[in-house]
Amino acid sequence: MIEFFSAIADPAVFATVLRVMTPLLLAALGVLISDRAGVLNIGMEGIMLSGALIGVLVSAATANPFLGLFAALIGGGLLGALMAFFINGLGTQFIITGIALNMAALAATTLGLFLATGDKGMSGALKSGVLPNIDIPLLGGVPILGPLLSGHHMLTYLAILAVPAVAIMLARTPFGLHIRAVGSDPKAAAAAGISRNRVQLYALTLSGVLGGAAGAYLSMGYVSWFAQNMTAGRGFIALAAEVMGMGTAWGTFAAAAVLGIAETVAITMQTKGLPSELMQMIPYIVPAVMLTVYAARRQAKARKIS
Amino acid sequence: MTRAILAGLTEFALTALVIGLVILAVLVPLALSQPDPLEVLRLFVLGPFGTIRHMGNILEAATPTMMTGLAATIIFRAGMFNLGVEGSFFLGGLAAAATAVLLPLTGLIATPAAILIGALVGSLACIVPGYLRVRFGASEMVNSLVLNFAFLFAGVYFLNYVLRDPNAGALMSYKLPGDFTLDRLLQGTRLHTGVIIAFVACLLGGIWLYGTRSGLNVRIVGWSPGFASHLGLASSKLLMQAQIAGGLIAGMAGAIEVLGLYSRFSWTGLPGHGWTGITVAILARENPFLVIPAALFLAYLQVGGDMLARNLDVPSEIVGLVTAAIMLAVTAAAIFRHPAFLRLIRDIKGKEAGEEQGA
Amino acid sequence: MAEGPIVSFRGVSKTYPNGTVALTDATFDIRRGSIHAICGENGAGKSTLMKILFGLESPSAGQVLIDGAAVDTATPDFAGKHGIGMVHQHFSLVPILTVTENIILGHEPRRAIFIDRNKAHRQVVELTQRFDLAVDPDARTDTLSVAAQQKVEILKALSRDTRLLILDEPTAVLSPPEIEELFNRLRDLCAAGMTILFISHKLHEVRALAETVTVLRAGKVVGTTPLAEVDDTTITRMVMGRDVDVPRRQRQRTDAPVVLELDNVSTRARDPADRIEDISLSIRADEIVGIAGVDGSGQRGLVGVLSGLMRPASGSIRLDGTDMTRAGTPGWREAGLAYLPADRHARGGTAALSLADNAIAGTDGDKALQWGPFLRRGAIRRRVQQMIADYAVRAGGTGERLDSLSGGNAQKLIAARELAGSPKLLIADQPTRGVDVAAAALLHGRIDLAARDGAAVLLITADLDELLRLADRVLVLFNGKIVADLANHPGLTPAALGPYMLGLETAA
Repeated sequence: MIEFFSAIADPAVFATVLRVMTPLLLAALGVLISDRAGVLNIGMEGIMLSGALIGVLVSAATANPFLGLFAALIGGGLLGALMAFFINGLGTQFIITGIALNMAALAATTLGLFLATGDKGMSGALKSGVLPNIDIPLLGGVPILGPLLSGHHMLTYLAILAVPAVAIMLARTPFGLHIRAVGSDPKAAAAAGISRNRVQLYALTLSGVLGGAAGAYLSMGYVSWFAQNMTAGRGFIALAAEVMGMGTAWGTFAAAAVLGIAETVAITMQTKGLPSELMQMIPYIVPAVMLTVYAARRQAKARKIS
Repeated sequence: MTRAILAGLTEFALTALVIGLVILAVLVPLALSQPDPLEVLRLFVLGPFGTIRHMGNILEAATPTMMTGLAATIIFRAGMFNLGVEGSFFLGGLAAAATAVLLPLTGLIATPAAILIGALVGSLACIVPGYLRVRFGASEMVNSLVLNFAFLFAGVYFLNYVLRDPNAGALMSYKLPGDFTLDRLLQGTRLHTGVIIAFVACLLGGIWLYGTRSGLNVRIVGWSPGFASHLGLASSKLLMQAQIAGGLIAGMAGAIEVLGLYSRFSWTGLPGHGWTGITVAILARENPFLVIPAALFLAYLQVGGDMLARNLDVPSEIVGLVTAAIMLAVTAAAIFRHPAFLRLIRDIKGKEAGEEQGA
Repeated sequence: MAEGPIVSFRGVSKTYPNGTVALTDATFDIRRGSIHAICGENGAGKSTLMKILFGLESPSAGQVLIDGAAVDTATPDFAGKHGIGMVHQHFSLVPILTVTENIILGHEPRRAIFIDRNKAHRQVVELTQRFDLAVDPDARTDTLSVAAQQKVEILKALSRDTRLLILDEPTAVLSPPEIEELFNRLRDLCAAGMTILFISHKLHEVRALAETVTVLRAGKVVGTTPLAEVDDTTITRMVMGRDVDVPRRQRQRTDAPVVLELDNVSTRARDPADRIEDISLSIRADEIVGIAGVDGSGQRGLVGVLSGLMRPASGSIRLDGTDMTRAGTPGWREAGLAYLPADRHARGGTAALSLADNAIAGTDGDKALQWGPFLRRGAIRRRVQQMIADYAVRAGGTGERLDSLSGGNAQKLIAARELAGSPKLLIADQPTRGVDVAAAALLHGRIDLAARDGAAVLLITADLDELLRLADRVLVLFNGKIVADLANHPGLTPAALGPYMLGLETAA
């Protein structure tokens, strides 16, 4: 156990955990907002993938990584809004809409990459911008803490700051209250004059913006290129993290951290030739178990009442 | 009766129109970016019918998706949004390969045994989320979504540590013995006898759903749980039966795909035929008989896309875009539940002659 | 502040697009600062009237005047602008939110981009003190008792400078002491200048609380009168209508054996509609027992324990001598239950399936229709064609979808299915609601026939004409108890049933 903590406290390992966790956390917070509004964003995987490509293309074209990030955020938000339009405007089911978005994004990003670079696999030829790491001025000098906490990617800090921001948004703002009301009981919300369509549109847009940020981190932080299907299921892990987080921002943060550690261990095991696949199962089995236990408890409680 | 057929045709015509428009909307901008736009359209639309070999390719591509489409149809018909079909397909393929590598079977029983074991093992990915829903009320949709990946990594572990051929360059299994195979049907394609199994399965699935008592009961449970409880039907049992049947079919599909196409098992990711199966089921309006044309249609798009890729250097991924758009368009309540369209259908059914409405 | 009535209805009518006439030429005033009751049977037009006043619907003819000025009710935030608050019968509270959050939902006090939580808390505390309705502002709503939730609902309705408070059947979910407390609060509110509109079935409550009553019947205002000037008999007559004599059913045998027996059966349930208390009754073969009572008096609980959907908490049930107390639905159907459910869209059939599939659903194992697991489509078609002919169902063919039929024809098909194979017990729950006259006559004939063939029949209906036409005996349910057991004879009239249904008398 002590070994485990001292390994985590190693700045290099800690940095890896943060690197792995950042996209998960951003995306999971996005899923959280959509879920609380009653339209679970199954399309997160596709939104991340799109954000990753947009970030690379725009930053390469403008030679400005911040414009790349900005474009990824806008692109993600538009995709979220598009989902809301399909679900509430055209009456498609939200699950089917999410599956279709994932399918379309995988195709469209490959196509977009090909049209931009002539290559279908990787954006090696494009010079993608890289978003900077941030050194925290005073903290950097402090022994032990300094190397642990300073010098990480700007989106890592943003992701961590997004946790209290989302928590406060949900708990303390009128919009957050409306999200919770619509997601829990759309009829009662409507009786109080709150439009489900509008709340879900904003929630999915915001969810998309966070997904865009997660995607931009993958292609402009984690690495500095775009590869076909580079999200590799991270959107679904984010979904799982949100389920593990029991619908709260801090819970989602904890879940993303646990999954980040699990993946770091998996990566380490892989380099040592140990079976990493079993570690890779963790992010998928734990949420299924938690979801089931949670449902079983709710069922038992409901039985007791009636 | 003729009026009902006419109404059905009207709905089919609208579906076809919507799909046609979607294809054009995606394809035309792409075609315009190419030096010879008309050639792009011609190749995509007519190319797959060009030779016997290409038509064989369509059948080949439709083989797995007919079966996953059938599996998804049965599961959806019971009113469950269980997405375990993808995981079942993967597990089925893996288990069939494991049977071939590990069990000393030969002769005529080899292939059927591998398919049976593939079906049984594969069905787990549908059964587990289904059971957790029926027993505990846990969302089968989220559970199946995450458990698909859990089964994937468990499978990859098994491949890596049990089936892996250390002499092969990449991560792949030992060669499957020669008795574990399905016969090829057409020269120059990989079309195999699995396609016959797929056809028969869809026909049997349709006969079961519409022609048997348990099929009727599953449709009742899926459509109106309240009526099922009024009748005293064993709803949980029927729901589980549908999940098991869907899982078995999807697992069988994976086994057939591996035995029919490959000499080694080498999947390290989810192959995606389960997702396509869900699209097929939706496009077929959850009717097993219509699963056949729906799967063939998506396979036709796939072959068209492949021809574009081969001849004009246009990526075949365009097909994914078209498929996704079709999936949304055919489920859009705004189109198919539009009051004007419903009124039209009602008029056709209700009036003595529907001709004047059609114009 | 203006004098004169706070609200006036002037010739207000409402016809829905499907042709249903819900309200005809309603004209009456609501005096400022009074407690005004609205009385009437189910379907008399009360809820339509309230929807119009609350701004959810607009009248098809006539005018609504507020403070003497004509207003257009179906405009956004109409109720909020005019200070009208409503306490719905089914609460419109979000269960996972706190009391405060529910009360401020939709009009949150803000500070910058945040909810001003201090101000919100102050507002709610002030509301609870001003109206003397004590609830914990920080409690999660779904942890509260039903009575406390109703307080929250009332506070929510009062939270926006409300001058007119509408309460729709507010006592249905409350116990007697809670009702007394609610009435005291309402009297206080009225004393403080609030106008209260109180919708109720229960005459003694109306009398206990209100000064004026408006009686609606079949979409028309029968009268508006100060309660001090009328006695209960008059109001009952106004609610029930004139006595029209209907032809009664002629029973063949009165000495047939008892088929169904309930001994002191009770259920435990949150919803009063599911709650029955100490019910004992027996039904003989060739006997139709009619259940009268306003909606939600326990009818659903009674049907529930007789169809395996609910289990009694105490008491016992026997069918033909066999104990059925713990039987589930399959057991009941096996024992010969036929059941025409009230919610026939959700429970009577499957809209998207064919007439044939609907007509043979539940006949598992019938050798004439099945060959092993396979359905004999030919035999099924002939059987269903026969059913369609016997019950005069107007349909294109056995392959048509159920939802292509009109309501009456669909119900005839459901009856054909349920009555096939001489049932021992028939439960007919609102068998002809929303059904055309010809179909209703046919269904009445079939129910009578089933009884003659030896079935015990339990008829639950809000249509008193139907009740008196068919029933040999009438039981009245009130608050889950049988309050009257009356033999049906030509002297029994709706007006005679009224006092029992409205909870004024018992004769059990």
